[in-house]
Amino acid sequence: MSDAIRSDDEGRTDGHALLEFDHVDKYFGETHVLKDVSLDIQNGEVCVVVGPSGSGKSTLLRCANRLEEIQNGEIRLDGRSISDPDADINRLRQRIGMVFQSFNLFPHKTALENVTLAPRKVRGIPEAEARERAEELLADVGLLDQADSYPNQLSGGQQQRVAIARALAMDPKVMLFDEVTSALDPELVGEVLEVMRGLAADGMTMMVVTHEMGFAREVGDRIVLMDEGRLVESGDPESFFEHPETERGEQFLSKIL
Amino acid sequence: MADSYSGASPEANAAADGFLDDQTLKYLGVGLSSLVALGIALLVLYILAVQVDYALIPTILPQFINAYVLVLGIVVTASVLSVTAGIFVGLARVSKTSITSGISAAYVQFFRGTPLLFQIFVVYFGIPTLWPGTFPISNWGIPTAIISLTLNHAAYVGEAVRGGIGAVHDGQMEAARSLGMGYVQAMREVVIPQAWRNALAAVGNDQIILVKDTSLLTVIAVPELIQQFRDVNSATFDPWTPLVLVAIAYLSITIPMGRLVEYLEDRADWGGDSQ
Repeated sequence: MSDAIRSDDEGRTDGHALLEFDHVDKYFGETHVLKDVSLDIQNGEVCVVVGPSGSGKSTLLRCANRLEEIQNGEIRLDGRSISDPDADINRLRQRIGMVFQSFNLFPHKTALENVTLAPRKVRGIPEAEARERAEELLADVGLLDQADSYPNQLSGGQQQRVAIARALAMDPKVMLFDEVTSALDPELVGEVLEVMRGLAADGMTMMVVTHEMGFAREVGDRIVLMDEGRLVESGDPESFFEHPETERGEQFLSKIL
Repeated sequence: MADSYSGASPEANAAADGFLDDQTLKYLGVGLSSLVALGIALLVLYILAVQVDYALIPTILPQFINAYVLVLGIVVTASVLSVTAGIFVGLARVSKTSITSGISAAYVQFFRGTPLLFQIFVVYFGIPTLWPGTFPISNWGIPTAIISLTLNHAAYVGEAVRGGIGAVHDGQMEAARSLGMGYVQAMREVVIPQAWRNALAAVGNDQIILVKDTSLLTVIAVPELIQQFRDVNSATFDPWTPLVLVAIAYLSITIPMGRLVEYLEDRADWGGDSQ
């Protein structure tokens, strides 16, 4: 990856983590899906969240840019509350890139237009400038030659790489990845992970929900295990995969490895 | 249909059906259709050759042309207004504010649930009596036409738009919002263009019906096409000459409209048929 992935700097992380979950509780109706979750993600850290289906890991990620509302606690980006009802969420979301399991590219826009849309419409960046930047980003994800293709002319892996470029176009401080390889054919997983690996190497702060344990171990700075809405274990990949601290961690690893 | 199966094994099919194999069915279908087509062609030919009084045409053509221009004017105006209003009806319908969606739902219930003819009467006879004093508009027929067609068709367009929005995947809104777009911006840039394509066929269908609905305006004496038929027919007792002109007039509007819808659908192709 090149310097196309800039990180911008109204934000210093003095004294606090870049992304903080502070005693977060979340309910879907009566169901308590996140139970007192606290988690700090430092600037430049790659935090991989693992856990069984229904453990709340995707929900936790979606709370981080308020696609889901939380009922208790607070979530802060660079010290500013995201969960506060008065927060300027549209502004905060520009600082948080999100990549979805189902890509969610805009089907009526070409790959390039997908990447330029938000910079132009939200930031008001002139067309030519947005285009130039989008071309850099598409080149970074290896898809400059597909700039004028529509999403349904692209493979799943290509679509997901465009989706990553689209999120990066807003110069986010942190990138959220929600099971981004789960909807892909196995042979297409590698190309997407490769792009993520490059981002991590460039120092992007990342929160990654995944079932790709190889990737978690190789790229993660920290592994967080969730189960039944709780954060049950957190540690560096080496210790997590070699000697998990909790019984739940051991159980989980014995099933997936 | 028969064609796609016939390749496989006509014998097996024949055995299963007992007496009709696919091949026979196909010939029977072609034969019957040809017969029907021939019958219709002969009937049309007979009407055009024998029933239509060509000598009458130059006399009645001017009034038909006036009616045609009037119908076109009403259609274009009511079309623009009903599609525009219908988009708002559809948007209001999917609003999270229950009063807004409630008003929209009630609007659709009423205008889709009562006959257009009734709505024409409400506007034409009802509205002027509500005016304090003398109603100021003397030629109220044409405004009535535009108002009633707009109100009626906005309800149908609204339903088509609502369906079109509903068919856009939730992930589209989430993706747009996660990039920092506001709700209105996300609707405008991302959801509505896709909803519009989803709704196009239904909206086009409705607008073609709007053209034909202008015929109801004869009951309030708007000089549209059917009114011209009635005039000519009552004066000459010749039905076919004015009927043929009416048919040509309507088809010359509705057929190009159908083509336009197809063109718009093709243009919103976005690189292929399906995601």
